[in-house]
Amino acid sequence: MKPPDTTFRPSRGPIATTRKYLKILRASLVERMTYRADFIFGTLFRFLPILTTILLWRAIYKGASGNDETDTTLSGFTYKQMIAYLLLTNISRMFSSMPGLAGGIARDIREGTIKRYLIQPIDMVGYLLAYRIAHKLAYIVGAAIPYLILFYLCRDYFDYFPDTLTFVAFLVACVMAFVVGFFFEVCVGMVGFWFGEVTSLLYIVMTLNFFISGHMLPLDLLPHPWSDILKALPFQYMAYFPAVVFQGKVQGMALVVGLLAELAWSVFFILLARWLFVRGLKRYSAFGG
Amino acid sequence: MTTFWKYAKLLGQLGRYTLARELAFRSNFLVKVFVEALWLGILLAFYATVFGKTSLVAGWTQNQYLFFVGCFFALNGLIECLFLENCNEFAELVRTGDLDFLLLKPIDEQFLITCRRVDWATAPNILMGAGVMLLALFRMHWAFDPVKLIAFFVTFGCGVLIAYAFMLTLTAFSVWLVRNQSLMEMWWLFASLARYPKQIFDGTNVAPLGFLFTFILPILLVANVPSNVMVRAFDWRMIGFTLFATVMSLWASRRFFQHALRSYRSASS
Repeated sequence: MKPPDTTFRPSRGPIATTRKYLKILRASLVERMTYRADFIFGTLFRFLPILTTILLWRAIYKGASGNDETDTTLSGFTYKQMIAYLLLTNISRMFSSMPGLAGGIARDIREGTIKRYLIQPIDMVGYLLAYRIAHKLAYIVGAAIPYLILFYLCRDYFDYFPDTLTFVAFLVACVMAFVVGFFFEVCVGMVGFWFGEVTSLLYIVMTLNFFISGHMLPLDLLPHPWSDILKALPFQYMAYFPAVVFQGKVQGMALVVGLLAELAWSVFFILLARWLFVRGLKRYSAFGG
Repeated sequence: MTTFWKYAKLLGQLGRYTLARELAFRSNFLVKVFVEALWLGILLAFYATVFGKTSLVAGWTQNQYLFFVGCFFALNGLIECLFLENCNEFAELVRTGDLDFLLLKPIDEQFLITCRRVDWATAPNILMGAGVMLLALFRMHWAFDPVKLIAFFVTFGCGVLIAYAFMLTLTAFSVWLVRNQSLMEMWWLFASLARYPKQIFDGTNVAPLGFLFTFILPILLVANVPSNVMVRAFDWRMIGFTLFATVMSLWASRRFFQHALRSYRSASS
């Protein structure tokens, strides 16, 4: 019998590393598309709250103006702009929401399965990032047609399509929303090194996030000083900021400052996640079988 | 009647068993309650902001709307407490084939699958919702009316049963879809139809949808009818229709669930 080849060494270098993570991405995509009927069912259901939200805000604007919803402006938002904003926050959330990420990390820590990353030439955060990009790609590609139909049906709520520069700024804000959302959740998951169980913390953070990220309503509608406080926090980049960038409500210097602040928060969470991982591993005592 | 008491007794014992389990993890229980209270707080903050800008939403005043929010919160709390966790596990039972063990038990399979655990952590939602309803009634100086109160409890019960029927139908789909994306999420998305007054379905484009979700798939009746009965128009015809819709929804969902079970092909062994 031929003895195992112990001289084998995995290839190194940036190309080999990229190939490794591309393979993870491909495998995750295949896994995601296995349950197609379920996927389509879920995507269709996601439009129900959008419909009811539009109808609720129409009723709110009708109430505020007396009868005609197009007559009034609430905190700088006309009825059309409000609906456009709420539709756009769905796009922001499509990039920034990370279901199951923090809980998965905490479970790996608690059950000891995190060691599979430690004994293989693979970085845990890098693996999770590739996996998550695959899921996001599958979701965005899968949801593209229903969303295009939705935006086409709701085209009257958009006064105009933004100019190229604004649109590029919106795309950049969305990509950074993904980075902020991903690394923020990774940080929450890493707390598992110290507390074991983060589900409770996660529930609280996610519940609050729904409101303070501007997903339920534009932060401008909140009374002072709440609107200013929430605009100073990183959560606004997960829903509010990309939406108002698309609408052209943030322009010129304010747009540059906003994007730079989003970049700064992205870098902050990347560094925090790395720091928590390194510190956490020092505490880690490899429970589980 | 003996069968009814048998199942009532069984439900009581299952409830006692799950309470004992829940009390073993008290901190988890407290955190869940805290999260639910936080969510109610967020809802109230949202509507306080909205009613800071307008005095009427779909013809509902702030206090009437507050009652509606409390009613839906309590109703949803009851649904989550009794059925949601059980239905949520159904997909996993189908996927792993563990459903076999439940089907072998000498008891109604729908009862066992949908009622075997009580999620006590969501029970305080019923009290929180009731608190909001009482606050709304107090703020609007509601004049006590026993007929309205009885009609409210009856239609509230109907609302719970209609919502249960829809949840059962969604659960049954897991047999074919195999991996149902968390039913909890699906339910949250679907229940968004019941979360607002039905008067928001106003206008030529959406009125047919309002009709559909009131008379054909009557999810809009769930929180609307009890709230209307208590703080707005008292309409006997709507109460009668709600009773009829409850019976029909329960019957149709049971038939559909049994049909789904017949399509089940045990995955294990």
